[in-house]
Amino acid sequence: MQYQSQRVAKPYFIAAIGLFVGQILFGLVMGLQYVMGDFLFPAIPFNVARMVHTNLLIVWLLFGFMGAAYYLVPEEAERELVSPKLALAMFWIFLVAGALTILGYLFVPYSSLADMTGNSILPTMGREFLEQPTITKLGIVVVALAFLFNIGATILSGRKTAVSLVLLIGLAGLAVMFLFSFYNPDNLVKDKFYWWWVVHLWVEGVWELILGSILAFVLIKTTGVDREVIEKWLYVIIAMTLITGIIGTGHHYYWIGTPAYWKWWGSIFSAMEPIPFFMMTVFAFNMVNRRRRNHPNKAAVLWALGTGVMAFLGAGVWGFLHTLAPVNYYTHGTQITAAHGHMAFYGAYVMIVLTMISYAMPMLRGREAANSNRSQVVEMWGFWLMTVSIVFITLFLTAAGILQVYLQRMSENPLPFMVVQDKLALFYWLREITGVVFLIGLVVYIASFFVGSREPEASVSPAPAEAGA
Amino acid sequence: MDMHIKTTEQPTRPAQRRYPPGDLALWIFILAELSVFAVFFSAYAFTRAQHVELFSTYQATLDCNSALANTLVLITASFFVVRAVAAIQRDRSAETVRWLWLAVLMAGLFLLIKGHEYAHHLAAGVTLSTNTFYMFYLSLTFFHFMHVILGMLVLLVLAVRTRRGHYSAAEHTDIESGASYWHMVDLVWIVLFPLVYVMR
Amino acid sequence: MTNTRSAWIVYLLLSGLTLFTWGVARAGYSGLGVTLLVLGVALLKGQMIGDWFMSLRGLRGFWRWVIVLWLLLVGGLITAAFMIATGG
Repeated sequence: MQYQSQRVAKPYFIAAIGLFVGQILFGLVMGLQYVMGDFLFPAIPFNVARMVHTNLLIVWLLFGFMGAAYYLVPEEAERELVSPKLALAMFWIFLVAGALTILGYLFVPYSSLADMTGNSILPTMGREFLEQPTITKLGIVVVALAFLFNIGATILSGRKTAVSLVLLIGLAGLAVMFLFSFYNPDNLVKDKFYWWWVVHLWVEGVWELILGSILAFVLIKTTGVDREVIEKWLYVIIAMTLITGIIGTGHHYYWIGTPAYWKWWGSIFSAMEPIPFFMMTVFAFNMVNRRRRNHPNKAAVLWALGTGVMAFLGAGVWGFLHTLAPVNYYTHGTQITAAHGHMAFYGAYVMIVLTMISYAMPMLRGREAANSNRSQVVEMWGFWLMTVSIVFITLFLTAAGILQVYLQRMSENPLPFMVVQDKLALFYWLREITGVVFLIGLVVYIASFFVGSREPEASVSPAPAEAGA
Repeated sequence: MDMHIKTTEQPTRPAQRRYPPGDLALWIFILAELSVFAVFFSAYAFTRAQHVELFSTYQATLDCNSALANTLVLITASFFVVRAVAAIQRDRSAETVRWLWLAVLMAGLFLLIKGHEYAHHLAAGVTLSTNTFYMFYLSLTFFHFMHVILGMLVLLVLAVRTRRGHYSAAEHTDIESGASYWHMVDLVWIVLFPLVYVMR
Repeated sequence: MTNTRSAWIVYLLLSGLTLFTWGVARAGYSGLGVTLLVLGVALLKGQMIGDWFMSLRGLRGFWRWVIVLWLLLVGGLITAAFMIATGG
């Protein structure tokens, strides 16, 4: 670690992992409620569990992105952060606000929470993923602005690299798009239309820039391949991401009352969205194959490669499966969507945050470059357990989704929603069991931080190029 | 794939070269762009197959003379770009700057003519929701229009940088990349022109 | 090294073929035969741009054929659609 102020990343990473555990626990509660409807009722009804599960995901990924930015930016800009104190203050504000919001979801009826937080003054609550009370949303804006100021001032007053500029554009876009969460028109079509400007343009737009730049950073550090080469790939990937992703928003506009041309625009452009993800896969493997040295942190390289593959599968392939309007006509809002959501979020965003944590955490905890061999082996067990589980969760949900589409929407005698849900119970049980394996994987992953910390660092074996020379 | 390949590093005998002129990363981008247009063209053709009458009727409302002019303008721009590359290969950067500016001028002319066509449609009250043909016509040509703007900006930047002495016979990968991108914009229009304006 | 004389020739050919396509449109010809002829001319023009303007002509391997493949793909799909449309 070259700069003292990079240390502020550490609390962000720890909080991210902590909230990740919470997210998975509520996921398991919800998964069980699919098959045992009254489980934990009335303490934690399904809608509350779902809200907590998705909100925790978003919040911990944001913690991860911010931590990643605080670690990455000083090294790229070749200077200390403008204000490490501000970064730390924002950490606590964000954590307390986030925790209070979650506690509010859990212990206060949602409508009372809306009353208590003065939602009627500026109504923004009650919409999927944007359930946060208006004051929490304002808090997010304050934190985001302070964060952007800190990061932006550091980047602009230091060395400017493609990696840090793409990251800055991504983070600024994240903040700007979030502003649409305050726009809450009475017209339901307009409401949904702009709601997607937050949701879609985050995950299929600006977040991909963040993903691309973090991946590029870790690859530069671990492979020793020329920055020029890696940055060229980064430019091509983000250009393609923006061309396909922005108009690709149209794949959410098929059935919400927008003009018909969105069926074409949405289908054609979103069908191309796998391209940048495929480029990312090729990019990651290419750079690792052409590495100039073997980095002792093998776990971080594994996470980076895993991100390339799983993001392509989850976001690219599983997204493509139901993105065309004629297909989506049948699959809209079924378990196919849930399957895609799980693998895409894990493959793209969970894994990139864990890649960064895996790369940076050893240095943040005083290592030269990597953890001990034993710690890395445990971490890689965590990697495989979680990754394989998510693949199976996706497959089970896909099977459930196909069955659901057939029974509920395509067969000669379509069955009602709840009758169909009963028939999917087997897949829901399998998903729940796999979810438990995922939790075990997460526990193993966390254990890797406490294993072998007194043993010496993993050593470097000579790179293929050097060995051959 | 080696992203380092630059034409100048390649063997001089053409038969031995493996990579196209310019940066390979840019060529991967060109491939991605071409696939988007391929999907768009096929969507147009297969949708037309279900509405032949409608498409023919409204194709007749398009201004074929403007399209001819625009095709010639784009081809001319491409020719100028070829001359610009040829000039920098011979280390005549002043000449390169001139050819690039002429190409930018042609691109601007394309935008003017196309803009005039759009103004005409707009005045006639045509929108994306008028009918399926106009939806495709406007979407396809406007998506291409945006590419002309991007290509023009690229050529503009190249002209300025060449003038500042950034490029020489030994190092001009950027010019070849920009040229390849521009030819792609031209190539797409070469298919778009007959498909939308002529083929009924 | 780019040859300016061949660039001139290609430029004139491209312009001439463009005028031909325009002429077909002005004369109001229609029908599958004429339509496919116009498409063929466009593909030929595309091929000339790829070979001479993009300088793919002297390469070997994948990149030699990349524009040809794209043209064949697009041309094939459009041809199929137009044949379906005329019921042939």
